[in-house]
Amino acid sequence: MQLIFGLITGILFGILLQRAEVIRYDRQLGALLLKDMTIVKFMLSTILVGMVGVYLLVDLDLAKLSIKPLILGGNILGGLIFGAGWALLGYCPGTAAAAVGEGRLDALAGLAGMLLGAAVFAEAYPALKATVLTWGDFGKVTLPQLMDRHHWVVIPWFVVLGVALLRWLHKRGL
Amino acid sequence: MGETVRGKPWNPYIAGALAGLLLVLSVYATGKYFGASTTFVRAAGMIEQTVAAERVAAMPYFMKEAPKIDWQWMFVAGILLGSLAAALGSGTFRLKAVPDLYASRFGPSPGKRFGVAFLGGAVAMFGARLADG
Repeated sequence: MQLIFGLITGILFGILLQRAEVIRYDRQLGALLLKDMTIVKFMLSTILVGMVGVYLLVDLDLAKLSIKPLILGGNILGGLIFGAGWALLGYCPGTAAAAVGEGRLDALAGLAGMLLGAAVFAEAYPALKATVLTWGDFGKVTLPQLMDRHHWVVIPWFVVLGVALLRWLHKRGL
Repeated sequence: MGETVRGKPWNPYIAGALAGLLLVLSVYATGKYFGASTTFVRAAGMIEQTVAAERVAAMPYFMKEAPKIDWQWMFVAGILLGSLAAALGSGTFRLKAVPDLYASRFGPSPGKRFGVAFLGGAVAMFGARLADG
């Protein structure tokens, strides 16, 4: 049943990604070149709606947060390495799969590379776990926890700042 | 005319907000948050298992992320299928080896582009796993 839910959710998400044209190389590089912010508009809209909706579910005891650990070593180094690879490929893992769906053959080479990257990481994991992944480990924390504020004090700020950023991008024609 | 209307891109704010709603529904229905990169670990493990099952079984990272098909694996497969259906339905499916923007800067060679894409995919995935998704 879980697998069927995964497939259906993926199909719906894939339709949204393809029809909003956010899975194209030109759009993803456009964002990195600060020339075309379509993917930022899409992602930020998703995050704002998701943030409010998920915290409502949590407050109503209908869902649990899934919090990734804050490990500065892994998050910062991993983020920098990911960014370099993303700029070379022009698709991120999820959008590469979607790009293959709309016929982009270079994304298929990207998927093959990702399998290699995952295999190499699995080899390196024991060494990384003992070093980089211990640097600046704050555990599973959220921003409201770090700021010592109730989440409904923090969320409106994110919504206001997010909408302001979107309006600014829209006005500048990005 | 019908062709151009059909192929017209959706508003990114509305499509993005709908994706947010889809995420909220998913969390409500199954407790699952969106992600993709763990699936590549599981898929790599599944491939390695075919030649070195015992070695894979003894590797700590494959114990953490077992090489099997789970919710996210099907989610990533669904993204590909949903995109394919949307591309065919809207008349925007194009078999293409080299993106326009890339070709205008680095030339039209598909071999070179595939090499760069493969390398980029490997680097991006290593970084994504190091940052934990």
